[in-house]
Amino acid sequence: MKPGDRLPLVEKSVSQEHVESYARASGDFNPIHVDPEFAAGSQFGTRIAHGMMVAATISEMMTAAFGGAWLDSGRMKIRFRSPVYPGDRITTVGRVKSVRETDGGAEIKCAVEITRGSGEVAITGDAIVTVSTDRSSEPSEQK
Amino acid sequence: MAIDYEELVPGQRVSRRSYVLDGEMIADYMAAVQDESGMLDSRDSERLVPPMSIAALTVGGVVQDLQIPGGSLHVRQELDFVRAVPVGETLLCEATLMQNSVRGGWRFMVLESDVQDSQGRKVMAGKSTVILPVPGEDSSGAEG
Repeated sequence: MKPGDRLPLVEKSVSQEHVESYARASGDFNPIHVDPEFAAGSQFGTRIAHGMMVAATISEMMTAAFGGAWLDSGRMKIRFRSPVYPGDRITTVGRVKSVRETDGGAEIKCAVEITRGSGEVAITGDAIVTVSTDRSSEPSEQK
Repeated sequence: MAIDYEELVPGQRVSRRSYVLDGEMIADYMAAVQDESGMLDSRDSERLVPPMSIAALTVGGVVQDLQIPGGSLHVRQELDFVRAVPVGETLLCEATLMQNSVRGGWRFMVLESDVQDSQGRKVMAGKSTVILPVPGEDSSGAEG
């Protein structure tokens, strides 16, 4: 991989059912996610998806691009910029920012971003993974 | 018992929970995030959990233990995945408060988390920034 290469695109729709499943899995039943009456009176006016649920698509994209290396050495630093609502379709994109050689491999730094259907940016950040030299040369970028 | 956030001090452990990453939890997680990466099925014949499922449990535990109120915002997150984890593993998740300050009608809390497997090996570290509305103050000006 080289700077400028794009990572596999991830697109999916977010539903309230997904939010409820995430609440059960994580134990995060904050009312902003699951209580319609509470959420109606919030700054958002309705329920919103968990930010970490939305951010999971970044990890999915990095796993698709880098395989097991992401599970063992992945790092990410993200900022939640605006909420994602049930009913939104989200798009997760990434591109390689830099490739730095290390002992026996390479550290690949990628810019990542998630937008919702309206084009509003929901999450931005960086994801970094260390891969073996052989793995880094595999053609896993999006065509 | 309600938490008095003013009383929390940097360095204080605010969450300590143990989880078994069982099939039911992972099924709920996979259904929620619709993960289609297909990379979780095998390594040395073990089925691996998505690393963000560990982060989900860790942050969820903090939200519960700190009784993070509705109207709070999760504004930043850092994660380091150190070791892949198989389904069925037992994890110990701990979170420590690193910053607790108030400005502009919001309480800014920075929390560092550390997750170890059943053999005491680090599997994940994280750093979360969460802002909570301060009762009685105007909290309308924060970024999301």
